[in-house]
Amino acid sequence: MKVVITGVGAVSGFGWGVEELCRGLESGATSIRTPSVFDVEGQRTTLAAEVGPPDADAQMEIDHLRNLSRADIFAVIAAREALVRAGLEGGGPRTGVFCGGSTAGMAECEDFVGRIVGVRPGKPMLKLLASQQLNGPGDAVARDIGACGPVVGFSSACASGAMALGAALQAVRSGEVDVALAGGADSLCLLTYSGFNALRSVDPGACQPFRKDRQGLSLGEGAGMLVLESLDQAVARGAEPLAELAGYGASCDAHHMTAPHPEGDGALAAMQAALKDAGLEGIDIDAVNAHGTGTAHNDQSESCALRRLLGDRSPEVPLTAPKGALGHVLGAAGALEAVASVVALERGAVFPTAGSAPADSDLHIDLVLENPRQLPPTSQTWISTNFAFGGANAALVVRRLV
Amino acid sequence: MKISISGLGVVTSGAWGWDEAERIFSAADPKPVNIDRSAGYHREGGARKAMLVDSARMGDWLKPMAARRMSPASRFAVCASLMAYRDAGLEILPYDGTTAVVMGTTYGAAFVTEKILRQVFLEGPESVSPALFTESVANAPAAQVALAVGARGANNTVTQRQVSVIAALKQADALLRSGVADRVLVGAVDEMSPLLHAILDRFAALAQPDDDGVETGRPFDARGSGWLGAEGAAVVLLEREDDVRNRGGLVRARLFGAGSAFDPGAPRSGWGKSPGPRAEGLGAFLVDHGLSPGNVDRVVCSAGGLPEADRLEAKLIREVLGERGLPPVLAPMATAGSHGGVLLAASVLAAAGATFGPTPGFAVPDREAGIVPHDGRPMPGPETVLLTACAPGGSAGWALLGRGDV
Amino acid sequence: MTQQENLRERLKRLIIESLNLEGMTPEMIEDEAPLFGEGLGLDSVDALELVVALEKEFSCRIEGEETTREAFASVSAMASFVDSLNGSTLSQA
Repeated sequence: MKVVITGVGAVSGFGWGVEELCRGLESGATSIRTPSVFDVEGQRTTLAAEVGPPDADAQMEIDHLRNLSRADIFAVIAAREALVRAGLEGGGPRTGVFCGGSTAGMAECEDFVGRIVGVRPGKPMLKLLASQQLNGPGDAVARDIGACGPVVGFSSACASGAMALGAALQAVRSGEVDVALAGGADSLCLLTYSGFNALRSVDPGACQPFRKDRQGLSLGEGAGMLVLESLDQAVARGAEPLAELAGYGASCDAHHMTAPHPEGDGALAAMQAALKDAGLEGIDIDAVNAHGTGTAHNDQSESCALRRLLGDRSPEVPLTAPKGALGHVLGAAGALEAVASVVALERGAVFPTAGSAPADSDLHIDLVLENPRQLPPTSQTWISTNFAFGGANAALVVRRLV
Repeated sequence: MKISISGLGVVTSGAWGWDEAERIFSAADPKPVNIDRSAGYHREGGARKAMLVDSARMGDWLKPMAARRMSPASRFAVCASLMAYRDAGLEILPYDGTTAVVMGTTYGAAFVTEKILRQVFLEGPESVSPALFTESVANAPAAQVALAVGARGANNTVTQRQVSVIAALKQADALLRSGVADRVLVGAVDEMSPLLHAILDRFAALAQPDDDGVETGRPFDARGSGWLGAEGAAVVLLEREDDVRNRGGLVRARLFGAGSAFDPGAPRSGWGKSPGPRAEGLGAFLVDHGLSPGNVDRVVCSAGGLPEADRLEAKLIREVLGERGLPPVLAPMATAGSHGGVLLAASVLAAAGATFGPTPGFAVPDREAGIVPHDGRPMPGPETVLLTACAPGGSAGWALLGRGDV
Repeated sequence: MTQQENLRERLKRLIIESLNLEGMTPEMIEDEAPLFGEGLGLDSVDALELVVALEKEFSCRIEGEETTREAFASVSAMASFVDSLNGSTLSQA
């Protein structure tokens, strides 16, 4: 069964919506800047890709979403956009929600903890915890759209969003659901900001994936949500599929809690599994949406895996790393990057990787820089990868329908 | 395709391993211990007890040097997984691309998160422990399990509150049926921390002390005041039945399937008054598996003594299985505390025909719930066990298990 | 005990405590034995953990992977490193 993506929605450092995401990525600029959601005083670094205030219309929409966490709001707004694009009302027993995330309502929970230990003003109100649990964003989406099918949260750190999409793909194929809302959402919080800084894996400037002088990642926030359904159903109801979600693969390094396997064994296994699932091979890949965090180890390991997958073609297959523009949106990364891949496929172009330095020539990859690269009309197949803490890897194959 | 449970491991309050778990369910005599309230998170009065794991016994499975950076949850999950491997008679291979790991967790890294936030707020961000942060992700237990057994297949952590364990079973089942994995270590894990305990108590979810100061989960009882907070893990090894036979392993129980549904009309932090779409989902699930309500021999449910939750789950069970002639309904969380591992352990034991003692704390039926849980009398041999779980926010899940060779 | 021996003992206790080396005593760590890789089997996350512990204990800042790798080669190396801190950063503080 062919499973297609008929709707996409996004909230990112570039703003509220897929159009904003697309414009931002096309421009080659970054949305990484000084955040305002918390005080970076005492942190080793001071930047993040924060989602700015929405325009008046969107703000009104958000005002109606009462008592939701920041991550919940991102997820709900992105899901609504995806449904509108798909031309679906959503809801009912045949609709499922599969949502990835690493910290859900942690930002609000931190406010509660700050108050209970006496360093923040105000009473520790339970209201702050109403959406703290990891499944919060998925539940918020399901409630908002009236989904009555399975609702499942995925929390495998930086691979959560891709894993949610993988599970949704499986659920549509198996007939468990007719429509799946799948993606991920995460908001900036002190826990992850302090933690990544403690690990000294944050670039003091905006992150520069696959560059020689890369010094680490930048954190970000946002959400990506996609509507999945069978091609037959999409055609029958007259919807226009944006792309095919052709394959999903996952693996685990079982190597180290934080360091990736140096030769990218796990990354390679996940990509191979995704291609096998799609009935394709390495030769079929036309472009790569890389995990590319900008840490020395990730980019080295990932490019090694890509060289092993693509062989001699490695220096010729255009590659983009959206984290230079969007920061690392953790549990939403896989989903937001899948949205980016879908819109790039639509335009037949690869977006540039933000950052000013030249690519690290030792990595032997074709890093797209500065301007979008137009692809030949024959090109059709993207692979998008995500690698998480604990060595959990996931890869998605997205194809243009021809 | 038949999916079998070929290895078992469990770590919970009062039990390290399957034999001990069987004994505590049979004895049905919970012994909660005091939770540390010294940080001042707790409200006045309120719950004081929790079902905590006796970590002194970890050394039989995991050396302190290997566990030194692991969170409590990671330790529980790794020990339970090693038990499951040993139980299945499987060797640990250094590079095993066909073994997957799927863990369900309700609260994630509660203990570690609390410690890090204290460091951030009280000592400053520069004092945050890098090692601790690596364990702050919800998938740390699944990752540590993979490291411990060399499992390089898919590694997945799912979270849907009380339904997490069922969501994990569902994902694991799909990995085997689609052929993506040959073995899956699947289970549930959670760790309890003083802050989590205090928060649950502030939400009025935990069993309150009675006049004698005793805290008891009272499932389906008119005096129910909340559940027993708990921690631990249960992990089972799932394989396709042919594979178990081919390697000369033992089928301990079978997993026929799992599923879940959502009621968007349920309150965000509550269970709601009517099962609605949840009952439709469970009904359709039974039909899909060719079962009529009379074919269910046991129900293992997540009721733990919180009236709103127990009533919703009771209505779900009654609406789908009928008002009369219900099979024995087991509420194991009253015995071992409320964590997902308890549900998995009890369902597998129930499918294997284990003895369950009378439901602790139950004496005065709650009319609105309308279910009398298992009273300890001998039960006829089981064929099919229905596991149910209901979560605040609108999710409900179910799984069907059947007896194995033994 | 000389001042050097005192410092080494203090560092060994710090290592055991901050890295949660349950069951180990300072006597079990040799002054010259490598801490990482073959020796105690510590890794990059342990190194970062030690940096945080040292920064707290000696009120200093430690920057750069290179510095860390050299300074944490053994307990002796770490003691020399702390001595050098006392000579520079701390005296300036």
